[in-house]
Amino acid sequence: MSQLTPDSKNELQGKRSSNGSGMSRRAFLGISAAAAAALTAIVVIKRPKPDETLDKGTESAVETEQFIFTSCLNCPTRCAIKVRVVNGKAVRIFGNSNSPYSDGKTCPRSHVGLQVLYNPDRFTTTPLARVSGRAKGNGVDLENDFERISWDEAISRIAQKLGSISPEKLLMLQGLNTNSNEDLIRQFARAYGTTNLFHEESLEMAADVEGKRMADGRDNSGYELRSENASETSTKYILAFGASIVESEKPLARNIHLWGELRRGTPNGSKVVVIDPRYSVTAAKADQWIPINPGTEGAMAMAMANVIIGEDLIDHDFIDNWTTGFENFKTVATSYRFSPEEVAKITGVDAEVIRETAMDFARSRPSVAWSGESATSWAYGSYASHAIFCLNALVGSIDVPGGIVYQESPPYRPLPLDVTEGGISFRELADLVRNGSVEAALGFNSNLIMSVPSTKKWNDALKNLPYYVHIGPAMNEMAAYADIILPACTYLEEWGYESAIPGSGYAEARIKQPVVSPLYESSAIATILYDLATEMGSPVSDPFMAMGGSAVGFGEEFVRYRTETFVSWEDFRRDGVWVGEDYQYYKYDEIFHTPSDRFEFKSTHLERLLNVSLPGEDTQRPFMMGIYRPVMEMRSGVQNCPWAQEVFLVMDGIGWNNVVEMNREAAERMGIGDGDEVVVESEFGEIEAEARVRQGILPGAAAMATGQGRYASGRWADDIGVNPNEVIGIEYDEESGQPSYFSTRVKIRKA
Amino acid sequence: MAKWGMIIDLDKCVGCQACSLACKSENNVPHGSPHEWKRHQDLYWHKVIAVTEGEYPTVNTQIIPMPCMHCEHPPCVNVCPAKATYQRGDGIVMQNFRRCIGCRYCIIACPYGSRNFNFKDQADEEYDRPDLPPDLDLSYVGHIGPWPYPRRTRGVVEKCTYCFHRIDQALEKGVDIGSPDGVVPACVEACPAEARFFGDLDDPESEVSRLLATRNSFKLREEMSTHPKTIYLPR
Repeated sequence: MSQLTPDSKNELQGKRSSNGSGMSRRAFLGISAAAAAALTAIVVIKRPKPDETLDKGTESAVETEQFIFTSCLNCPTRCAIKVRVVNGKAVRIFGNSNSPYSDGKTCPRSHVGLQVLYNPDRFTTTPLARVSGRAKGNGVDLENDFERISWDEAISRIAQKLGSISPEKLLMLQGLNTNSNEDLIRQFARAYGTTNLFHEESLEMAADVEGKRMADGRDNSGYELRSENASETSTKYILAFGASIVESEKPLARNIHLWGELRRGTPNGSKVVVIDPRYSVTAAKADQWIPINPGTEGAMAMAMANVIIGEDLIDHDFIDNWTTGFENFKTVATSYRFSPEEVAKITGVDAEVIRETAMDFARSRPSVAWSGESATSWAYGSYASHAIFCLNALVGSIDVPGGIVYQESPPYRPLPLDVTEGGISFRELADLVRNGSVEAALGFNSNLIMSVPSTKKWNDALKNLPYYVHIGPAMNEMAAYADIILPACTYLEEWGYESAIPGSGYAEARIKQPVVSPLYESSAIATILYDLATEMGSPVSDPFMAMGGSAVGFGEEFVRYRTETFVSWEDFRRDGVWVGEDYQYYKYDEIFHTPSDRFEFKSTHLERLLNVSLPGEDTQRPFMMGIYRPVMEMRSGVQNCPWAQEVFLVMDGIGWNNVVEMNREAAERMGIGDGDEVVVESEFGEIEAEARVRQGILPGAAAMATGQGRYASGRWADDIGVNPNEVIGIEYDEESGQPSYFSTRVKIRKA
Repeated sequence: MAKWGMIIDLDKCVGCQACSLACKSENNVPHGSPHEWKRHQDLYWHKVIAVTEGEYPTVNTQIIPMPCMHCEHPPCVNVCPAKATYQRGDGIVMQNFRRCIGCRYCIIACPYGSRNFNFKDQADEEYDRPDLPPDLDLSYVGHIGPWPYPRRTRGVVEKCTYCFHRIDQALEKGVDIGSPDGVVPACVEACPAEARFFGDLDDPESEVSRLLATRNSFKLREEMSTHPKTIYLPR
């Protein structure tokens, strides 16, 4: 090893003094060798031989290359994607430029699909049956607690069980599934005779949907952000009540794409105002952030209605001709209690700000008021959602370009059995499970235990489920309660179709075709249901027989059965999407499905929006705990993805963790610093997590990202962060039975 | 010869990080782990950072996507003792893994933190991607240069290349670079907000030149006279 000799030092110094850049080669090499020696002492690096680094070998040769159109399923937006498959292996995911819904763009989660497909902790075996007597829940060991059984054996065992119980004792849990599988699950439930279908999506959006349904009788309304060069039709003003529209709101890829268009694609750009206790990514990117006391968004909306009606900025044409109940609504809204000055006392937002925002909103048409989860996940969330939705009606933003639209669906061939009921609410689910009136349950990609509030109580309830069949691609926390596990394949290995969710107005159907054949022993959910139905025989198998006859190709046959009426199979496979006719606006005579066939302003419950308790009122537990869903939370429940984990929270620069976000001033008062471990305690439980002290959150609020705190999801997800739902209390929205995720009071102390 | 540059419009960008993930996916950049994250040993060719200023309630967080700046006067090239990092004629700053001796002078010299040291073998074989990068078609196997690597090299410095493999291929085939239908780096292609633009800074007709001419722009750490070619448009 060469040393830095006195000679070379002198040489170096001499050179430096005469010419800063002209270092001699010898001196330089001397130093670098010394430095390299110092470095190698710390990190021992075995360097490969030069030849190895350029080893293209045989494995890099492309023998077959395909680009296959299919659709994503890492969140409910279900974007159309294009997958590059080389030598039978999926290597890259792109957007599908044939899809106008998000202009061929996809959100970051689409790329992670590769790690969902090649998840190293997927089930690699045939179905698994629990060894009798082994414990359920946290700590289950797949090797020891389960035994392998054949597919035939598993199907016949389940069929036998389902045949032996009365149909209404069966519960069916749905996580995030393809639209086609959802249809099949409903057909199965209907043919079998159970109405106990629970969709986990309703955990987060039931109250929001219910509030809008009160007004228009529909459940497919969406915000059509719109950007056209003719600026009259662009959305000019977006008012987001607790809605992080470029982070957690559906349809994310479309929202992000239109965000870019609205900010720069139109002559004047649109204004975005975010009303949220937490400074979300959307708030950071918006024109204005209005911090508000948690749970007072509905009251704020009513105060804005007060101003809009008071200043006579309402759309008289629409209100006079197409609404009912406006007079009563007006009486309530313009009452003294909803004046900006009064509402300012509970929201913490200046009366002047409320007034200005309301006038801006009413004058910059088309404008939309967007209700998000943190505004509607409350005991009176449906009313908050209704109040916010009514703002859109006041300014005439219903069924106009850039306002609220009613999503059309592709003209699928009707299913054999007519299914209208939407399933059970979360409150009904809780009652069913707790009363012990469930004798068997089927979970399709379910991850219920991670998303319900008060995890501990649910843990006990699920342990007591007499018979649970888990159907999913990989181990997760729900599978730990299973008596039988059926390894299903991921969305990249199966046939299916998806419909565009509310947002565009016009219909769009997207194909799902396998980009690789099912890995290991896994099977498509369509095939599993077909096998189960045929094993059980008529009448359960009747609808399946009507849609396709062969067990091997049922998934494909089913998709063809449903879609060939409006798109040829070749075109559908080649383009990946089918797009419906342009959306027609101003269809007021047909869009409202209420008893009066009008937009209905409800006023009976709106006063309740004022009955809120503010963060500081409970001195024992001074913080209101809120959750939020970051972009990198994989909404399919498969969080075992390093790409998603390492960039988990962009605003805080945090990966592989989630943190308790709290206001700097509030934290300093308690001696809590950034990065300290804190204990968050509510009457339902306590969790320990890292504190993130930031400026961008209301002093009385605490927030935490969901998605972490797993213990059975695999090597890249387990023991990372905590699940905030463990401290969230059980309270239901009165109308929709959705859990109230934001009303829990917590105490935070240093660990 | 063209002078490639990238424009990132921070008004359109929403910090979704599709760019970071597309980069990982395109360039087969190894993923990290909680352990490596704590020790700052994980690899990113592209990262999105957030800088917060102000006090509640007047907070301002800037979310800034950070590829390599591809400086016109790159300090990393100046300090490299092995000539492993060099600037191509079109301005792209490259890293030759075969020449790199792993001394990491360049990491210290880079004012933008754009360079990463690869501490590990590609251990996670389930994500190993023994293939060519996208858009290199079957007939195109005579590609010369450090890409494609079926495996990663431990003990060398890695960095963003502006997806030079795409550019080179497009030049060879006469495909347009930087236009809406043309070839662009993976991060530009993946951006759902269309906040990123790529093109020839010397060509006054290019989209990037048009944006620079019509809008305010800034470069990171301009005072260091590195003259970055990744340029930002403010909100």
